Amino acid sequence: MIEERVNVTNRLGLHARAAALLVRTANGFQSALRLERLDGSASADAKSILSVLMLAAARGTELRLEASGTDEREAASALCQLFACGFGELEA
Amino acid sequence: MRERVRGLRKEERWRGLSVSDGLVLGHVLRIHTGTRHIYRATLDEADVARETRRFRAAVRLARRQLLEVKARAERELGPSHAYIFDAHLLMLEDRKLLDEVKNHIERERSNAEWAIKVVTDRLLAVYSEIKDEYLRERGSDIEDVAQRLLVALSGERTPTRQLVEDAVIVAEDLLPSAMAELNLEHARAIATDAGGWTSHMAIIARGLGIPAVVGLRDLYRRARTGDKIVVDALSGEIVLHPSAETLQSYQTMIARESPRAVSQTTGARAPQTGPQEVLRTLDGVEITLRANVELPAEYEGVKRFGARGIGLYRSEFLMTQRGVMPSEDEQREAYLEVARLAGVDGATVRLFDLGGDKMGGLAHDTERNPALGLRAIRFSLAHEEVLRTQARAVLRAAAAVTVGRLDIVLPMISDVTDVRRARRIIEEESAKLEREGKSAGRVRIGAMIEVPSAVLVASKLAREVDFFSLGTNDLVQYLLAVDRGNDEVAAWFRSLHPAVLESIWRTLEAARAAGIPAVVCGEMAATPAYAVLLVGLGATDLSMTPSSIARVRRTISAIEHAAAQSIARECLDGESADAVEELVRVRFRERWPHLFPPETLPAVGDQE
Repeated sequence: MIEERVNVTNRLGLHARAAALLVRTANGFQSALRLERLDGSASADAKSILSVLMLAAARGTELRLEASGTDEREAASALCQLFACGFGELEA
Repeated sequence: MRERVRGLRKEERWRGLSVSDGLVLGHVLRIHTGTRHIYRATLDEADVARETRRFRAAVRLARRQLLEVKARAERELGPSHAYIFDAHLLMLEDRKLLDEVKNHIERERSNAEWAIKVVTDRLLAVYSEIKDEYLRERGSDIEDVAQRLLVALSGERTPTRQLVEDAVIVAEDLLPSAMAELNLEHARAIATDAGGWTSHMAIIARGLGIPAVVGLRDLYRRARTGDKIVVDALSGEIVLHPSAETLQSYQTMIARESPRAVSQTTGARAPQTGPQEVLRTLDGVEITLRANVELPAEYEGVKRFGARGIGLYRSEFLMTQRGVMPSEDEQREAYLEVARLAGVDGATVRLFDLGGDKMGGLAHDTERNPALGLRAIRFSLAHEEVLRTQARAVLRAAAAVTVGRLDIVLPMISDVTDVRRARRIIEEESAKLEREGKSAGRVRIGAMIEVPSAVLVASKLAREVDFFSLGTNDLVQYLLAVDRGNDEVAAWFRSLHPAVLESIWRTLEAARAAGIPAVVCGEMAATPAYAVLLVGLGATDLSMTPSSIARVRRTISAIEHAAAQSIARECLDGESADAVEELVRVRFRERWPHLFPPETLPAVGDQE
C-alpha cells in the first residue's frame, strides 16, 4: 500500500468538474483508492463521485491518499498529479 | 367570465437576486421541474427481483438521455459547459448510489421510486450541511439525477420545450439538464423561486446574456403561463400582471436602457435578406459591420445577420465559472471554430479579460477596486502560463485556418510596455511551437483602447501594434470615473460626453495617421444613433452583438456620411453631455426624422 499527502489547491475545491476528472482517472486503475481528510473526519472511495463529493473538500483541505493494488504506484502518481495541477484550473 | 377575473388581477411584485442583468417585458412560460410526490409501496417478495430490473432499466434510459443532453450542451454552449453532465453520468455509474438503491429495494421490499427518494434524500441531507456555498450548491446535481431517474421510471420523456418568442421562463428551480433541454434561443428572461449566483442556470444565463432573477419564493405558484410579466434584472424586481402605468414606465426605461434591451423589444431578431452586400452610406462611404461573440449559441446570428467576420471574440467566456481554465487543446478547438464561423473576413480573439468582476463574486474579496485592479492583460502577464497557453492555442489555431484569419487583441493596454511584453511572449511561444514541430500561424496583434492613458498615447501605441480595437464600454467607465453597475452614479454615465467623443476621435485619427485599421466595439456601436455619430467621427469598422447588426445596417445605409461628419464635429465642440445630447436630438430630427423617432434618441433629462 502507498500513502501520499495531497492538498486541494484549486479555488473551487473538489466540485463536480474536478471530482468527475478525479473519479474518471481513478477508475482507470485496478487498485483500491481512498481519500481521507487528515483530521480523520471523513473518507471517500476515489472511484465513487458521490463519495468524493461528500468529502466537501474546499480549497486548502489536506487529504491522505491511500492506494493499494497491483498498479498502486501508477494510480497514486496519476492522482497526485491531478491535485498538484489544481485539476487544470487556473489559480486566481 | 374567466377573462374578466383575469383582467382584474392586481399587479404583484417580488424582489429577488439578479444573477444576470437586463430588463424585459414578456409573457410567462411556466416550466414544471418541481418535485413529484413519491409514495411508498411494499412489494410481494416475488416482485422484488422485477423491481430491481425496473430500476436498472431506468438507469440505462437516464444514461442514454444524459448522453444526448451532453452532446446538445456541447454543441450549443461549448464543451466546457458540458462537463456537468459528465458528473451526472458518473453518478449514474456510481456503485454507492446503485447499490444503496438496490439494497433498499431488496431489504425493505420497497418500490424503486421510494428507494431512490430515501437514498438521495440521505445524500442531500449530508450536502445541505456543507459550509462552502459553491460545493453546497452541487447538491442540486444529485437532485437533478434523482429527478431524471424518477422520470425514467415513470416512462415519461421530458418533452423538448417549444418556446414562443418573448417567453419569460418561470420555474421553481432550473437544474442543469432542464436548462440544456430548453430552447434558450427564444428565452427572453428567467425567473426562479430558488437558485443562487453560482447555480448552473445563473452561469449559463450570464454567458448567453439572458436576464435572470432568482430567489423569488412563490412566484412559480402565483404565475400562470401567458401572464404578462416584467423582469427587471437591473434591480432584481419582478412585476406580475403589471398595470398600464407600470408597463408604460418600464417601456420608457427600456427605450433609454441598454441597446440589448432595446433590440429585444424591436424584434431585431428577424432575419435580414441580402445582408452580404457591401454596406455604404448614401454618399458611398463603405462601412464594415462585424460581430461580437461569446458563446456558440450566438454563432448562428453571425451568418444570419450578415456580419463581416468577428470583430471581437471574448475568449474569457470559455471559462464556465470562476477559475476553471480551458486547456490548450480545448482553446485551440474553440478558436478554430470561431475562425471557421467568421469565414473569409476573419476573427479577432481578445485575450482573456479576467480578474476583477469577470471572475465573479469571490475576486471582490481580495481586491478592493477590481475594475482598477489586476485584470485583463495585467492578469495574464502576472500569470504568465495563462498567457503562454492562450498564445499557443491561438497560434496553433491560426496555422490550421484554411479560409480567413485569426488575430489577437490585447485587452486593457495602458501604454507600449504591456504591448511589448505580451508580444515577446507570443513570439517566444511561436518559436517554441516551430521547434516542437507544430506549426504556428501568423497573427496580427492589436491593442484594445479602453483606458484613458492609451487614448493620450495612441499615436505611440499605433507604431507598435497592427490595429486598434476601441472598447467603448470600459472607455466611458474609466474616462468618466463612473461604475456602470452603481445606481447612485448612473447620472454620470454619459456615452455622449464630449470627452468620450474626443477620445474616440483622437484614437481613430492616430490609427489613420499610422495607417493601421481601427474597429469600434462596444455597446455604442450597437445603438443606431450612436453608430451614426461614430461614423461621423471617422469610424468605418464597427463590431457589435449580432442581433443589432440588421438595425444598424438599415440606419447607416440611409444616412449621408458628410452629414454625420458635420454633426459629429459640432458635437465635439459641445461643452457638456447635456449639450451634446440636445444637439443630437435636434440635428438628427432635422436631418433624418424618418430614421430616428424620439424614443431612439437620448431623452431630455436622461441623467435623472
